[in-house]
Amino acid sequence: DGVAALPAPQNLSVHSTNMKHLLMWSPVVLPEETVYYSVEYQGEYESLYTSDIWIPSKWCSRTEGPECDVTDDITATVPYSLRVRAILGSQTSAWSILEQPFNRNSTILTPPGMEISKDGFHLVIELEDLGPQFQFLVAYWRREPDTKEHAKVVRKGGIPVHLETMEPGAPYCVKAQALVKAIGRHSAFSQTKCVEVQGEALPL
Amino acid sequence: EFQFGPCQVEGVALPRLWEAFRTMKDTVQAQDNITSIRLLQREVLQNVSDAESCYLIHDLLKFYLNTVFKNYHRKIVELKMLPSFSTLANNFLFITSKLQPSKNETLSASDSAHRRFLLFKRAFKQLEIEVALTKAFGEVDILLTWMGKFYRL
Repeated sequence: DGVAALPAPQNLSVHSTNMKHLLMWSPVVLPEETVYYSVEYQGEYESLYTSDIWIPSKWCSRTEGPECDVTDDITATVPYSLRVRAILGSQTSAWSILEQPFNRNSTILTPPGMEISKDGFHLVIELEDLGPQFQFLVAYWRREPDTKEHAKVVRKGGIPVHLETMEPGAPYCVKAQALVKAIGRHSAFSQTKCVEVQGEALPL
Repeated sequence: EFQFGPCQVEGVALPRLWEAFRTMKDTVQAQDNITSIRLLQREVLQNVSDAESCYLIHDLLKFYLNTVFKNYHRKIVELKMLPSFSTLANNFLFITSKLQPSKNETLSASDSAHRRFLLFKRAFKQLEIEVALTKAFGEVDILLTWMGKFYRL
């Protein structure tokens, strides 16, 4: 019928950081046309048992941008195949399939953001809220010779957590790392932050 | 994580599996008309020792993957429940891939676990296949409840 075939999207890749998975591809560019895209996925189960069945992505069954947040589609720590095709009016391109299946255990884990504060003599930490899959290991110590490092698991970011009641005379230092049980991995430690309280030591 | 006796499995969030099954539960269980029969009977899952648990969960999940899910999939497509089904199936697949029931555990534990599994399988085989598939899939909540005894946040 003489209609040029709609080109398929190229250069598919997944960029995954802190368990947020973004499928990206090179856009199909047609002058004065808006090209849409459709994304589908298969987990390892589908690849093994029902390989002809693909599941439409939750957020990108018809999307404009050359990217798709597939975080809600990837719900197990197994390899996932992903594919994209272009849509223009009634025309659809061939499917392009991600070359290597993606497994969420390859996500990049960054040291968590953290804020340290003093509430009177209390040492308080608030960690970045990275979502329900994240816990945090917090290490804290009083910076003086022969000091002992303490550790605490914080199960949720975004809320202030009391670590210790401080005494004047030496700074208290804190660092934290993110833990993701779903993939059995943790991030590097954040930079250390220290605070100090002034004034008289508390009466015993 | 799960600790089925000697078998530890990290990387699965049980609440996520419940969330997935709950979106399918009412639809599937509504199609199970034989309420007098239960495949995952008390004798299958009650008083399971730690030593047995790894064998039993391995047998049960393999059966669910290779028989129940595989043959009930067409119904799942019809009922438009693929995403939730996919979450369940891929996590069951992940769990089974991590389970390594040890060979040198006491023979009695694996035998006892296998006898429990055969109770379940025999009950399944006694039903017409479509009825059995619907009932078994509908009983995933019983399975998840039992798995919860071996789960730690």
